[in-house]
Amino acid sequence: MQKRLRSKTSGILTAADYKKAGFRVVYSLILLVLFVAVLTALIPILWLFLSSFKEASELTAMPYHLFPKVFDFHKLAEVWEMLNFWKYFLNTIIVVVGAVICSVVFNGLLAYVFAIVKPKGYKVMFALVMASYMIPALLSIVPLYREIINFGMINSYVPLWFMFGANAYYVIMFKNYFESLPKALFEAAEMDKCGKLRTFFRIIVPMSRPIIGVVAIFTMTAAWSDFLLPYLVLNDDSMMTVMVKIYNLQATMGTVQGFGPDKLLMLLTISIIPQIFIFTIFQKQITGSAAAGAVKE
Amino acid sequence: MKKANALPEDRSSLSYKAKRLFKRNWSGWLLMLPGLLLFLFFVWAPLAENVLLSFSETKGFEAVGFNNFENYVRVFQDPMFTKALLNTFKYIFWSIIIGFLLPIALGLLLSEAVHFKSFFRLGIYFPSIVSGMAVVIMWSYLFDPNPGAVLNQLLTALGLPVSTFLSDPDLTIPLIVVTMTWRGAGGTVLVYLSALQNIDNSQYEAARMDGAGALARIWHVTLPHIRQTIRMLFILQIISVFQVFYEPLVMTSGGPDGASVSLLLLSYQYAFQSFDAGASAATGVILAVIIIALTIVYLRLSTPKKNTVSRKWRKYAKKTAQ
Repeated sequence: MQKRLRSKTSGILTAADYKKAGFRVVYSLILLVLFVAVLTALIPILWLFLSSFKEASELTAMPYHLFPKVFDFHKLAEVWEMLNFWKYFLNTIIVVVGAVICSVVFNGLLAYVFAIVKPKGYKVMFALVMASYMIPALLSIVPLYREIINFGMINSYVPLWFMFGANAYYVIMFKNYFESLPKALFEAAEMDKCGKLRTFFRIIVPMSRPIIGVVAIFTMTAAWSDFLLPYLVLNDDSMMTVMVKIYNLQATMGTVQGFGPDKLLMLLTISIIPQIFIFTIFQKQITGSAAAGAVKE
Repeated sequence: MKKANALPEDRSSLSYKAKRLFKRNWSGWLLMLPGLLLFLFFVWAPLAENVLLSFSETKGFEAVGFNNFENYVRVFQDPMFTKALLNTFKYIFWSIIIGFLLPIALGLLLSEAVHFKSFFRLGIYFPSIVSGMAVVIMWSYLFDPNPGAVLNQLLTALGLPVSTFLSDPDLTIPLIVVTMTWRGAGGTVLVYLSALQNIDNSQYEAARMDGAGALARIWHVTLPHIRQTIRMLFILQIISVFQVFYEPLVMTSGGPDGASVSLLLLSYQYAFQSFDAGASAATGVILAVIIIALTIVYLRLSTPKKNTVSRKWRKYAKKTAQ
């Protein structure tokens, strides 16, 4: 412990400060507070995992036991089969894949024009995109819902896919990245009379893998968690996504035979697992870009 | 023959200019078109229609005639709207108390940690990856008012009286803010962390040379450097308060008796529970105006001003030198 402190040369406190015992106590306190913070972040999820293996009566049993009496993984399979959950999982995957494609292609193209092509008058469009940066989609939900009805897209995944193609936040992330690419590349492409669209797919896309990855991951998590529009659009039970199904089960708790709060918690656990999976694979990209996206304009 | 007949094009003519303008720009606009159409369909048209709807008499979701400010008047006379508006201030108050300083402090501590750094970073960020709906349902079970539920048994064990949690009108908003903070703080911490890591170490060195203690270093070097980030995230947080929706929808349906209803939830309830599209649109427009105004402030702040930090620092250095 001491060794690594002695080599700390940057930041507010450095090795010079840590020569004093007082600062070493401060440092232990820093670590302690951070441990408590991590515990606060993780314990509710741990509670969820443990509780989802409990019987309904165990949830409020006195005295309280943190661990379930038995870890019965049959319960997972039972809940899964009872609700035929494959269906909802598959639906969600369809929504997520379409959303990722739309998100990358449409926001990417728009950002490419904003950052590089810059035709006359693009600034007006950019300002309009920026103005809607923070407007939540559900703020004008009635007109949007009506549009979707008029286009005959109720019980269709099409609006859920394309909605992710109009996201100001992703446009800005793409734009910032494209602007950092070396200018000489596009000029060379222009000399070769390479079309704009071809420049995009042949030059920009291969050079932009990191940012495409980041936007794809963000879209993946957002589409997986998306709720309100899917809830309004997907009325047919066989079309529903995991989140819509879980909300419906939650709202109608007690009306489905044999479905109690313990089983709902199990479903929540199931719904979180893919996200944990994605997070562990892409943790670097996710934590790295979570910071970058919010600050730069 | 043909060549002789062709007139040399007049380069200053209007039609030539228009042609050139078109030739240079059409492909760019063509590429923008799909994206712009999507923005039109999903964002701009609904917003504009919402404005129209807010000035219309509505039947179901259709406008049947112009009715001036009647929707707005009706909304302002609705006690539920007054409650939602007041609640917004309560949400802002609690989110500042609970959720504003915490990420700054954690970011500072995290930037100083040498041990377990990536463990801390991942652990603190972890709740942000769980979907909002799952988080909200999970916390509504944690806040189960049953005396045998986990938190109440914990309170009992600590010798405190049991709580009804979300059903208690004084607690419902703070607890919703706790839920929001639990999920959102990790992302904010990372933003602060990256701002802190961008501070030039030579400034700390210089401060140390001048004999500045740890607190003086934080006050005179660290804080001025992240002041811009703090300001921006402050505005961002206030904007996010105006977007509160899922938490009251799932955890309380806006209750007890409107104690946690937010403007966005109210707009949704007007539309899909009382089928009053006019009132819903009016509420939506009021919200949109507030959010756009705040967004403009945010964007102003996020265009960096140059040298403010170093000027501050130079001033401080001069003062200590004397």
